[in-house]
Amino acid sequence: MFVPIEPRPAPVPTKGPVVWLKKNLFSSPFNTVLTIVTGAVVAFSLYNLAWFVFFDASWGQVWANMKLFAVYRYPADLLWRPLAIAAGLMFLLGGMAGVGGRGSITANTFFALQGFVAVLSVVAVVFWPSVRFLWPMVLVAGYAGYLLGRSWPRLAKLLPWAWAVWFVLGIMLLSGVTPGSGLLRVVPSRDWGGFLLTLVLFTGIIPSFPLGVALALGRNSKLPAIKYFCIAFIEIVRGAPLIMWLFIASLLLPLLLNTDANSLPAILRAYVAITLFSAAYMAENVRGGLQAVPRGQSEAARALGLSAWQTTMLIVLPQALRAVIPAIVGQAIGLFKDTSLVFIVGLVDFFRAGDLVTVQPQSLLVTGGVKLEVYLFVAVIYFFFAYRMSVASRQLERQLGVGVR
Amino acid sequence: MTTAPAPATEAPVPVWRNVKTIGVIAQVLFVLLVVAGIGVLVNNVTTALARANLPADFSFLGQRAGIPIAETPIRYTVTDSYARALLVGFLNTLKVAVVGVVFASLLGVLFGVMRLSTNWLVRTIATVYVEVLRNIPLAVQIVFWYAAILLPFPPRINNPITLPGGMLLSNVGLAMPWVYPTYRFGAWVPWLVAAVVLAVAITVWRRRDLARRDVVGAVWPYPLVTFALVAVVGYFVASADRAVPAGASVDYAADRGRGTVYRQVDGTREPLSFTPVRVRVESAQLRATSQNLVESRRRADSTVRFPLVFESEAEGIEVVFADAAAAEAAGYRLHVERFPSVSTVYVDRNGNGEFDAGEETNPETGTGYNGVEVLMNLTGFERVVVSDRDGQLRTPVFSAGAAPAQAEETAAPAGRGRFSAFGQAAVQESAETTLEASTEVLGVGPLVVSRATIPVSSFDGGASFTVNYLALVLALVIYTSSFIAEIVRGGIQAVHRGQREAAMALGLSPYQTFSLVVFPQAMRIILPPMISQYLNLTKNSSLASLAGYAELFVVASVVSNQTGAAIPIALLLIGSYLAISLAFSLVLNYVNARFALVER
Repeated sequence: MFVPIEPRPAPVPTKGPVVWLKKNLFSSPFNTVLTIVTGAVVAFSLYNLAWFVFFDASWGQVWANMKLFAVYRYPADLLWRPLAIAAGLMFLLGGMAGVGGRGSITANTFFALQGFVAVLSVVAVVFWPSVRFLWPMVLVAGYAGYLLGRSWPRLAKLLPWAWAVWFVLGIMLLSGVTPGSGLLRVVPSRDWGGFLLTLVLFTGIIPSFPLGVALALGRNSKLPAIKYFCIAFIEIVRGAPLIMWLFIASLLLPLLLNTDANSLPAILRAYVAITLFSAAYMAENVRGGLQAVPRGQSEAARALGLSAWQTTMLIVLPQALRAVIPAIVGQAIGLFKDTSLVFIVGLVDFFRAGDLVTVQPQSLLVTGGVKLEVYLFVAVIYFFFAYRMSVASRQLERQLGVGVR
Repeated sequence: MTTAPAPATEAPVPVWRNVKTIGVIAQVLFVLLVVAGIGVLVNNVTTALARANLPADFSFLGQRAGIPIAETPIRYTVTDSYARALLVGFLNTLKVAVVGVVFASLLGVLFGVMRLSTNWLVRTIATVYVEVLRNIPLAVQIVFWYAAILLPFPPRINNPITLPGGMLLSNVGLAMPWVYPTYRFGAWVPWLVAAVVLAVAITVWRRRDLARRDVVGAVWPYPLVTFALVAVVGYFVASADRAVPAGASVDYAADRGRGTVYRQVDGTREPLSFTPVRVRVESAQLRATSQNLVESRRRADSTVRFPLVFESEAEGIEVVFADAAAAEAAGYRLHVERFPSVSTVYVDRNGNGEFDAGEETNPETGTGYNGVEVLMNLTGFERVVVSDRDGQLRTPVFSAGAAPAQAEETAAPAGRGRFSAFGQAAVQESAETTLEASTEVLGVGPLVVSRATIPVSSFDGGASFTVNYLALVLALVIYTSSFIAEIVRGGIQAVHRGQREAAMALGLSPYQTFSLVVFPQAMRIILPPMISQYLNLTKNSSLASLAGYAELFVVASVVSNQTGAAIPIALLLIGSYLAISLAFSLVLNYVNARFALVER
């Protein structure tokens, strides 16, 4: 007799939102409780935050002070100068991104920044007459660089030189060259500020790089005089916080150089302190890379008849630096955040500009002040750039295979 | 048998191409360069200092500082020296560092473990927490917590949040009960010494015993239990005699809210520190006038705030208008928000007999009903107050339960009380007794618990932390915990998967697997970077000026500005921070040695 077997149960689904929910949120009674409790807390917090941002907050003061946030007291009729530098920056970044090609880390970073510029361009076109055409120019310059890099890969060889030229020309353009009231008139550095100053100080990482490499090589040197000098420098500088070095630099640099305190702009003193501080940390990062290069590499290089200098520059350093790129990006993030400490020497960077906004008479008229709004805005802007860099750093890490080997 | 070929005779390397010679020459040149550079700089500095007439040595440290510091772990007044001000700053740094390290570790471990949770929501929260907080500058976070959150924190000083355990939290800070040694503490000290000695002895014995028997066992329970036993027994023996010391008495003035506990020794007054005193006031009044305040982001009009009094502290409390007739005429009513200390004056415009939002604001002037005097009538008020280090007591400033008008006027010096017309009238109408306060010094053991109170408008007794300190510690803890969380996550992930699987296979529960197998191994990887984060936290406390907290760097920069002693202060700061760094590296080396894998 034919007895039909029981139909087998349908296979347990392994895909779909329900399965995902079960696996990730409700896998056990404990997890279910956890999900409900934390979910309630998160929902409550987000609701309060959203309520504050959209209804309670008075963003008028933040909006009214955008120029102060961006450049502080930089003359309003000369805003084309920082924006021209920004256009140059985006052009060069675009060039790097174009050479790297779609999907490369530089391209991802570049497009994130382009998005930021695009938002600002739209806002500028609609609301800010004085920079109405300047911001879109920055956007266009970025795309021009990108297209150039795509169509002409040999740009890669020129780029380091282009960066150097950009750096020098940028500083010259920012400070101006001619006295009087012309287009290229001198703008004293005490008028620089806001996000512009934050970026200017952030470039301190560039000179700190060769200094840091030199210190790292010095620390690994066999000559005791050089070795112990480098160790002392690195350890003393790293032993104390940056804010203390900024303070000391602002007090001591005029004394050390025996010059009038006014002839050394505060920005220069802060720059020196930031560069030297960053160099000490850079040296430790690079040293880590030097230690990671196997001994055999330098021995093989010497066996091939390369000189000590050639061995270091052609064999050891390239491998060492490649290994520590993520660490250096991490250090750059730290430095970007640490530029906010220059308030101690009286400079008005992006963070300090926020402080100034909160104590304006118009801000004090608002019930309860506008501190929460201002500092939220400042935090969001810092976060955007720092987080973007940390994403790039993680991509780099994956690409270089550090930690996988 | 072969002989090695004779080495080719090499031409001797000329001296100037010998690597050793070049090295020596390079070093000599380098040293000369460095010495010359330092010489030029030192010369510059000395000429610059001489020209500006600034101090270049440490002799200024003995001078009177005149720097007011709000939070001082040791006794400090503005008349103390610069050296002592700097010491207070250093101790304040340590106070931030120690508390910050503990809480940053707890929070960091919590979020590090959360990042590895199987629950998607928990995992995501932890990821967002870490990513957001470590990508925002610490300076912004400190100012955010200080100026944007804690300073405009709604509970004002007289209306604090009362947390369990007698903790009071307001926009002035946090206060909590604290244990202090009394005059009887000396009787307990021998017991404590004995306890420590015994504990050490037992540790040594236990170590030796374990080594002799060649077994593995825990050492710490033995000395710990011994210490606790001896100390507790000693405490009870020492507190068997709880009598009040002979000649102890209190000099208390209820109308000033102040008193001194002292004992007469050979005709001189010796203040009794940390002595509990029961203060009883039969019948008294507290006075307050309504004010318009801005709390956090909202206006609080017409609020009346008395010093904090709990209902349980008095037999009878009533809160009334000073001049009931005038209040009746103006239509004022009293809405009690927090009995009896906080209330609101309002006019019942819609006539529903209740307080409704908006009724505390005068529609004509747009502000609240300002300057209305309100009284708190207390009968049988009783509070145990513990004197401070100098034997001082503080209570609310009582006024006589509506004494005759003449007496009141003579008692109040000109310009002290701003009596409104209503207040004067009230004084004249009622006719009650004068202020009657009694005090009693209580007996006490070696230790006393001091409760935090709010006598007028600041914390007294217990241990209190300023809002500046809280903001700084909060920002440092949260910022550092985001880095520690990443370290913890990395450390746990670095433990080989086989360890976990083997533990599960042996039948350990998930909790046991984590706490007994995975975590101890992860600790080895976690601790070194964690200690460097502790060092970072300590160094980052130098941003204290953003929260108005006086730690080492803040005090040093004030001293430097006052005296112009830039060089000595710079040396002092560098020295202090190097000492702190060195201390941390010593701990790090010890931990590395202690936790290093013992390899066979």
